[in-house]
Amino acid sequence: MSTLSPEQWRALAPYLDQALEMDETQRSAWLSALAGEKPTLAAQLSPLLAEHARLAKVGFMDANPAVPQFSRQGLAGQVVGAYTLVSPIGQGGMGTVWLAKRNDGRFERRVAVKFLNQALVCGTNEERFKREGNILGRLKHPHIAELVDAGVSASGFPYIVLEYVEGDPITRYSDLQKLNIQDRIRLFLDVASAVAHAHANLIVHRDLKPSNVLVSKGGQVKLLDFGIAKLIETEDSENALTALTAPGGQVLTPEFAAPEQIAGAPVTTATDVYALGVLLYLLLTGQHPAGPSLRSPAQLVRAIVDTEPQRLSEIVTAAHADPKTVTDNAAQRTTTPDKLQRLLRGDLDPIVGKSLKKDPRERYASVTEFADDLRRYLNHEPISARPDTFAYRARKFIRRNRVPVSLAGLALAALVVGLAGTLIQARKAEQQRDSAFRERDRANRITTFMTDMFKTSDPSEAHGNSVTAREILDKAATQIDTGLSNDPAEQARMMYVMGQVYDSLGLMAKGRSLLERAVDLQQKMLGPEAPETLTSKSLLSVILLEQNNYAEAERLQSETLAARRRVLGLEHPDTVRSMSRLAGVYSWQGRNSEAEELEREALAIDRRVLGPEHPETLMLTNSLVAIYNAAEDSAHYEEAEKLQLDAFAAERRVFGPEHPDTLNAMYNMAALLRLEGRYGESERVYREMLPVLGRVLGPEHSDTLSLRNNLTIVLAKQGRYQEAEQLYRETRVIQQRVFGPNDSNAANSTYNLACLAAVQGHRDQALSLLAEALHHGLSPHTGVNMERDEDLKSLLGDPRFTALVAQGKKVAAAAQAPN
Amino acid sequence: MLDENALPNISALIGSAEQGDKAATEVLFGSLYAELHRMAKRELAKRDGFVTISATTLLHEAYLDMSAREGKSFPDRARFMGYAARVMRTLIIDHARERQAQKRGGLFEITSIETKEIENPVDASEVARIGDALDELGKIEPVLAEIVDLKFFCGLSFTEIAALRSVSERTIQRNWERARLYLHRQISTDLPA
Repeated sequence: MSTLSPEQWRALAPYLDQALEMDETQRSAWLSALAGEKPTLAAQLSPLLAEHARLAKVGFMDANPAVPQFSRQGLAGQVVGAYTLVSPIGQGGMGTVWLAKRNDGRFERRVAVKFLNQALVCGTNEERFKREGNILGRLKHPHIAELVDAGVSASGFPYIVLEYVEGDPITRYSDLQKLNIQDRIRLFLDVASAVAHAHANLIVHRDLKPSNVLVSKGGQVKLLDFGIAKLIETEDSENALTALTAPGGQVLTPEFAAPEQIAGAPVTTATDVYALGVLLYLLLTGQHPAGPSLRSPAQLVRAIVDTEPQRLSEIVTAAHADPKTVTDNAAQRTTTPDKLQRLLRGDLDPIVGKSLKKDPRERYASVTEFADDLRRYLNHEPISARPDTFAYRARKFIRRNRVPVSLAGLALAALVVGLAGTLIQARKAEQQRDSAFRERDRANRITTFMTDMFKTSDPSEAHGNSVTAREILDKAATQIDTGLSNDPAEQARMMYVMGQVYDSLGLMAKGRSLLERAVDLQQKMLGPEAPETLTSKSLLSVILLEQNNYAEAERLQSETLAARRRVLGLEHPDTVRSMSRLAGVYSWQGRNSEAEELEREALAIDRRVLGPEHPETLMLTNSLVAIYNAAEDSAHYEEAEKLQLDAFAAERRVFGPEHPDTLNAMYNMAALLRLEGRYGESERVYREMLPVLGRVLGPEHSDTLSLRNNLTIVLAKQGRYQEAEQLYRETRVIQQRVFGPNDSNAANSTYNLACLAAVQGHRDQALSLLAEALHHGLSPHTGVNMERDEDLKSLLGDPRFTALVAQGKKVAAAAQAPN
Repeated sequence: MLDENALPNISALIGSAEQGDKAATEVLFGSLYAELHRMAKRELAKRDGFVTISATTLLHEAYLDMSAREGKSFPDRARFMGYAARVMRTLIIDHARERQAQKRGGLFEITSIETKEIENPVDASEVARIGDALDELGKIEPVLAEIVDLKFFCGLSFTEIAALRSVSERTIQRNWERARLYLHRQISTDLPA
């Protein structure tokens, strides 16, 4: 078709006008009528009308070309408010930043003008923006970059004018200056003081990150962008800025976002505490708490929301970080990796750990508290953070150290089930408890149980291991109600035993409900001060303590103690045990001197009454050590260490080096050391135990193999991959011989070998080992969690790994399906 | 800085142009062009680099600015808009050409105000061709050309144009559709099939 001449157009115009007035049906009828009268005209009109329909559909020329717009370079010299733009400084998520100077010549002042991106301001009204800008403008602090002005252009685009700060991000500054740990903390305290000041003014930063924390050449800290994230948020609520709990930020930097920001939960001052924790973590270790290799945003989000960060002291020497990073990071802190690890291990681990808690309520209640703990650290004073390290775990351990009683309970539970749960048999079993406990096959069961317990306390291990024990328990627990219902006294005793075992398995809620019922029954049947009632009550207190219900735990244990003193006498072992448990309650609350005093008193009685090498005395010795450790009081450090060694020596002497109790103690000690990250020491203990276990239980016994497995983990943790691999392969040969080619133990070893290969970067080998493990009985739990395994991180994204992960899930699903 | 006193008297020029003074018409368009250009720059400078000001805003502000400057004798809005819209077209097409020539680095960029997805986005070369076709249409049906100026180049709504022209909205819309059809027909045949 050709262009229309003016004449043609003039001839067609009136007909077009007419046709455009009609709807579709009218038009086609009209057009066919016209074709009869004026065929040439109709032939010209028809395609034009079709074209018109098409144009309307695609919206030809609906959009306006309009708008001459300045290009970015063109902005220099332009005027914004009282400022003339000089040069662009940067472009960020929020908008473009310009260096500007005051243009009225009254005084020379350089400022940063930040234009906020159009996309971020929808819903912002000018009034609100200015009002909130004003509030932020009143925030004056030596370490906060002042907000000079905020405005909205006539066309509705907001900008803010900030004090211009020349400097490096705090992390870069610290590295360039090679600041040591103390100096980094001092610098960080300046940041904290600024944030605390803002919080006092009801302003939450919401987007704290190194690029918002600049340090000038002179070492002066300045925080940028206070409250800006909030300022440009969509207006959700009227009292937006003053409400510290307004709905979560739309503007956030995933790497520095707190879990609640990602989850869309309320943003509070605790959100800033978290971001400060991330910042401190970075400053101290040079690494991000979510791990060294953040590949995708999805992984990052998962890490922030789900994964507990690695402890500072672990990450600085972490085997998966490359050695150069490890040494470089240490050098930038004018130290060596080992020294850095030691520096971070004590107080800094719990301090940073507390600030990075997933649950905002578990973090420091304020930035000031956070800063206070850091100041205490600098002054070598005791910190307030519950040490999530040795002492904390030691407390847990001490609770577990009381497990032998529970183990007897487990043995009993197993018997109850095994012998059909009849009352008589249960009674018989209970009578046999003590002697049975000393039998070797019992000991084996116990050791397995202990092994599983520690496995389940290690996040890298499957939780599936405790299933069998738990199944036994659950069955037994139901039998309490059905089989024993006509004998309330026996029922209560069984409830006590079961509750105890649930407690030692960490199933507090179940243990608690059983013990509450036991106490209730016993109080009714036997009276509130009967020894059995008190025994249940005392244990209930212990469980409540583990559930952090301090007040109730203290009340119950104090009552028990008072009653026992009356009923049993001041020096009865049970009375003394109550003293020790009450001391534990004090210790958990941080009432260290009370705890120490009471525990020492208790220990003194047991020593005198029972003798220094009585098991009960030894247990209390361990407790006192734990209380000293928990107090983190260096005054008692030597005493604690000596007590512990003495107790251990006594245990060996009393029970013999090959006694299950001694071996358990050693095993636990090694496990503790491993958890503590003291891999070398842990290795020594494991190596000492290995021949003993080999002799006592035999080299092919599952416990011996478990021990080998743990030893291998410790070797791998120390980066001694070749030794570890060698050991895994030997273990696997035994496992395959003993348990068969498709047993989960051997498959788990294969899996571990795959992990070793993966951390060393032997991708193909790792993948084929994983496939082998999956095909030969890898435990479903391990299979299903494969993609979350830190050690296998390097395989993520590989399609072959993806396929294996899918297969692992399928196997797990099949294992769960009822058949 | 421009000397305010040196500014041409727009109302006088419009008066002369309406008397058929060809020279005055040219001066009028030249002056309006310079004026709009200056105002665009000023408006944009007042804002920031990320803002697109609409031509409508520019025209309205130009009218307010000039009428305030020249007082009671300034022509009514409808008459002024007629001239100014044509000038705006020239201004925009010139920028489009400039942009085509330089691609990048120019002071202005022509962008589409609409952000919704358009199957037929108006790019710079198309704008220039539309401009040429519009010149032809202006010779055949000046009323239609003016509607295109107001609607397409200045972003006025049918309602606004109907009010300016004192006709029904439906008429404006029908005229627009006819004009659009003409323009598309003319520029499509420029393109290789």
